Amino acid sequence: MTTATSTLEASSSTVFGVEVPQPPQHGKPGGIMRHLNFGTGLLTGIVFAVAAGWITSALSSSSATNDTFAPTEPEYIYLAGLIGWVIGFMLGMGAFVGPLRWVTGRDLTHADAEYMAGKDLGIRRYFKFTTDHKVVGIQYLVVVLGILGLGGLLAMLIRTELGATWTEVFSPTFYNTIIGTHGIAMVIGMIVVMSGPVGNFIVPMMIGARDMAFPRLNALSLWLLVAAVVCLISSMFVGGIQDGWSVYYPLAAQAPPGMLGYQLTIIVFAVSTGIASVNLMTTILTMRAKGMTWSRTPILVFGVFAASLMGLYAFPFYQYSQILALTDRIWDTVFFNPVQGGSVWLYENLFWLLGHPEVYVILIPSMAVALEIMPVFLRRPLFSFNFAVAGIVGVVALSGLVWAHHMYMTGWAPAVNYPFMLSTEMISIPVGFLVLVAIGTFWRATVWTRLPLMAIYAVVFNKMIGGVTGVYLSDVPADQYFHGSMFVVAHFHYMLMGAGLFGAMGGIAFYFPKMTGRILDERIGSIGLWTAFAGFQITFGSMFVAGLQGQPRRVLQFDDMFNISNWISTIGAYVIGIGMLIFLAAIIYSWRSGEVASSNPWGSKSLEWQTPTPVPLENFAVLPVVTERPYNYGVPDPYEAELEAEDGDRTSDDRERAGVS
Amino acid sequence: MKRLLVTLASVVLGIAVVVGIGLVASVSGAEPDAIVAKQVGTKSTPKGELPHYEVHLDVYPNSSAAVPPPSAGTPINAELLSGQPFYKPSTSIQVPANSVVTIHFTQYDSGGQIYNPYFAKVHGSMDGTMTWNGKQVSEIKSSEVGHTFTVHQFPESTQPYLFLSVPLPMNPANAKTDSNGYPVDPQKISVTFITGEAGTYVWNCEFPCGDMYQEFGGPMQQRGWMAGTFEVVA
Repeated sequence: MTTATSTLEASSSTVFGVEVPQPPQHGKPGGIMRHLNFGTGLLTGIVFAVAAGWITSALSSSSATNDTFAPTEPEYIYLAGLIGWVIGFMLGMGAFVGPLRWVTGRDLTHADAEYMAGKDLGIRRYFKFTTDHKVVGIQYLVVVLGILGLGGLLAMLIRTELGATWTEVFSPTFYNTIIGTHGIAMVIGMIVVMSGPVGNFIVPMMIGARDMAFPRLNALSLWLLVAAVVCLISSMFVGGIQDGWSVYYPLAAQAPPGMLGYQLTIIVFAVSTGIASVNLMTTILTMRAKGMTWSRTPILVFGVFAASLMGLYAFPFYQYSQILALTDRIWDTVFFNPVQGGSVWLYENLFWLLGHPEVYVILIPSMAVALEIMPVFLRRPLFSFNFAVAGIVGVVALSGLVWAHHMYMTGWAPAVNYPFMLSTEMISIPVGFLVLVAIGTFWRATVWTRLPLMAIYAVVFNKMIGGVTGVYLSDVPADQYFHGSMFVVAHFHYMLMGAGLFGAMGGIAFYFPKMTGRILDERIGSIGLWTAFAGFQITFGSMFVAGLQGQPRRVLQFDDMFNISNWISTIGAYVIGIGMLIFLAAIIYSWRSGEVASSNPWGSKSLEWQTPTPVPLENFAVLPVVTERPYNYGVPDPYEAELEAEDGDRTSDDRERAGVS
Repeated sequence: MKRLLVTLASVVLGIAVVVGIGLVASVSGAEPDAIVAKQVGTKSTPKGELPHYEVHLDVYPNSSAAVPPPSAGTPINAELLSGQPFYKPSTSIQVPANSVVTIHFTQYDSGGQIYNPYFAKVHGSMDGTMTWNGKQVSEIKSSEVGHTFTVHQFPESTQPYLFLSVPLPMNPANAKTDSNGYPVDPQKISVTFITGEAGTYVWNCEFPCGDMYQEFGGPMQQRGWMAGTFEVVA
């Protein structure tokens, strides 16, 4: 594919038949990157963290402790350690090698870039700052499974505490810590679970590209996520996050140093998400294969693009809120501290400006995966591709106009409650488009029920329950009753976990053959899926009852009247846990010993399945040209067939644009 | 067979990890044994002759190794809580129902101006007063408060009402101290109240003296330090 002509002087390489001028090659391809990996990243990160903490300890004055608003000395040390960790880890991974080589006039050559893409590195490429989108996709999958595993473990502990009514299994501070850490870990995990593994591994192939637009930024976003997660975990050992995942003021200001871990996690994670969003959007906008018009672009690409767009505008608000909170805490600024004149409402607005779009950042890719999977297993086109796209566009348009429904009861600007109620209820219309397209696609379909489609059944059911209960919460009068109760907790678990996580399970089962070259074991996988589904209904169905009875959320102890609902919820949670472990077993077993998959085991028509398995570094030997829509399975719609017969490959959309009736 | 083994191993290992971490967290965060009130006789009250019980609590600044601080869970937490005041010997207190209870406090810490003067007054005692160094008082100067011992009604609809709040005066800055830095004549406070039916309550110090914003962080939020449980048992 490529031919290097010189390694001493400025030279050229032939890349896919094109002569490309190259800077001089210094040493072996890869240079210092040959020596850098996850191990050096860990080592450098720890060394930098310890050094930064030690220097801060030496410089800080112990007289600063115990003033009314001043942080204690260990806080400075912890913060410095975290910053040192992030910088050191990224340095040790080799994240700065490319820019440093460019600054010093020793820019990377094509051979260096191929080394960084993991060419001929075997399994070692999964432990390095590798730029190949497929490797990054797998790395994302493993990291996100780890994050969700942490969140799930904490969920089990939470339900253990709540199930053992009137018996304190854990101290209140530890309980508060696991509530907050579970919340933010699951939010991070769910945001990444589709856009990370599927967005990186699948989307470039799906649009007929050889890689992402910015491969090094791709690796950067992944390893920044790893650095951020370590900050989050560290917070549990320095007092924890005791104020829920929203960390409202003034609770956040009273919180132990673990709050700094939360703040730095969000700041770094937002950088990671921003980079990933720009990369995905640029890739989709500029690198689609020839002939892949928007009407020929798979719906999953729309979903990932929409999630990236929402993340790009929403995350800076969240990041900004945490930067200001950090300065309040460390430098005694007054953005949010109410006693000194700060505004807690400012914090709440900034937080929810991310907090609600984030729901759709999770939900839309999950729904898009569902719509991507359905035509394959129902062997017919989507019920209405245009309605599905309209639904996604509608959600994106309205997603930034609904945040204040989280603040109905705070007293902030009561006059805007009703406009926000209207916008929130309006967003159910485009979301409804997506659900209707999903249900409509079943109409007159030949159902080929395999594991990925089973997950979609679960998604549609959970989405329906979550959507219906959400309507009540969006309603101001009803929200006065439901606000802050377990009803809210049950609702958002139906949306985020019920739709998001089960959608992710479907996505993993669907793309597993392309990612690993093996079929995900259907028997173990489906037992895991349906066990988790049954546990899910028990847990959160019962939680709805507790919420309707009036049980407040986030409270360690509660009235005896809630005991039965909580016992049932806890039993259900254990069932979910067992189901998830069985699904994990399916992944582990299949990855090692599963049935070997052909390159296109589902008979899909989209481009990613037209590549060989394992997928070569460059994805396609020759870039594909797209000539039809992605879902033309089986017998086409008679009307569409008639149009196709008349106009060749022109679709009804083309005809409408051309004004042909 | 291999499939079954992998599945079983995943489930068993997963459960073991959850149970293991849960056990470690539960044990490391466990509070010291509860202080159980001891009967010292009977006392006549408007409700008739009731059994009389006593509890002894000390309040220390964390300034000397002579009185080691309570467990902080982890070494890092211990570092974060170093220098912070605490109650001894435990913050889990158990008293009998339908009884007269006297709590004797020995207060070794300093203090200052309390933010909320409501808590400089005695609330919920048998006659609305407490004994402070042998004198009956119903309140102290809000600028001379060291700590408070405030028992709160728990959010439990079936529990009987109970609210008790006692201000613990500070030791002056020029108080004579022993070789460990503790006042030679610490503040002695006693308060007597009547318990109702059985119930579980929480208590805390309402004079924020911890870390961070309004000094409500650190020990103020930590059971074993400046907050605890108050159980009335049948």
